[in-house]
Amino acid sequence: MKEILPEIDRWTENGEKVVVATVVATRRSAPRPLGASLAISESGKMCGSVSGGCVESDVFENAREVLATGEPKLLTYGIEDDLAWSVGLPCGGEIDVFLERVE
Amino acid sequence: MSLIHRLAELRESNERALLFTAIEGDEAGAKVLVLESGEQVGDGLDQAVAQFDELIRRGRNHLIRLDDGSKVFAEWYGPPPRLLVYGAVDTAEAMCRGAKLLGWHSIVADARAKFATPERIPSADELIVEWPQEALAQVRPDHQTAIVVLTHDDKFDEPALIGALETEAFYVGALGSRRNQERRRERLLEAGVEESTLERIMGPCGLDIGADTQEETALSILAEILAVRAQREGGFLKDAKKRIHAEIE
Repeated sequence: MKEILPEIDRWTENGEKVVVATVVATRRSAPRPLGASLAISESGKMCGSVSGGCVESDVFENAREVLATGEPKLLTYGIEDDLAWSVGLPCGGEIDVFLERVE
Repeated sequence: MSLIHRLAELRESNERALLFTAIEGDEAGAKVLVLESGEQVGDGLDQAVAQFDELIRRGRNHLIRLDDGSKVFAEWYGPPPRLLVYGAVDTAEAMCRGAKLLGWHSIVADARAKFATPERIPSADELIVEWPQEALAQVRPDHQTAIVVLTHDDKFDEPALIGALETEAFYVGALGSRRNQERRRERLLEAGVEESTLERIMGPCGLDIGADTQEETALSILAEILAVRAQREGGFLKDAKKRIHAEIE
């Protein structure tokens, strides 16, 4: 989350709820390193990334849920995933992404 | 002040810290921020926080598995590593250029004022004209500092190495032929340096890539520093048994 803190700070200072998605584990190979993160604000602003764009749309969908419930979520993406054809990682790796709401 | 705001401030400072976040189990989402100064924001995650000293030295993010099977993500905060080169020789300039590429902070020190000039070493972030002990006292190398000794002159190299070994620097390297290394080893032992402490010196420093020019030598040493930092051997990836990226399972 370190890289995108200025944006997250600005959005939360403006009173927006923000969901931060962070790569917390990588297996085999991965497009972004451990700690890479994506922030999504209540109003739909986005910054950062957790992959080369392969899984961002699915993270975005899950982020809306986390925004609403406030319950954190741990997601796994990879070739063995059921969603492989739609949001899998072409590099053949697997990543765990942690989603949490910050205020 | 919100934790996010505190973290945003920390990011701009030179202070090192770890942000622990539980990502699984009942405590998922719980956060504890621990600064190297000892300050702590938040409570709990004791088993993860207990690993602070080891994790802060790694200089990178890490996933911790606790005894109960749950996981805690540790995000590392701090300035980039520092490279201290003693000896303002041509290779020092090439090393500073390489350090810039890595985003590291480079410092070159030499007792000879004619050598340690911005004209000769334009890429250094800092230049220090001091004898080794004084230069080391000024730089105060810590566990995120690599030290390379390049003067080829015993009257500088020896005190620089003795001083470097008294610090927590994660890498201490010295140029010189194998014969010179052996001779220096004898002299450092005579000077009272413990045999086990001498093992820390990477000498001759650098990976075996057939380096010839100053630039090649600099790259070979920087690559070795990176390998030591990531606790890797530095061979061909195609022969490597470990995963390619430093923190991949």
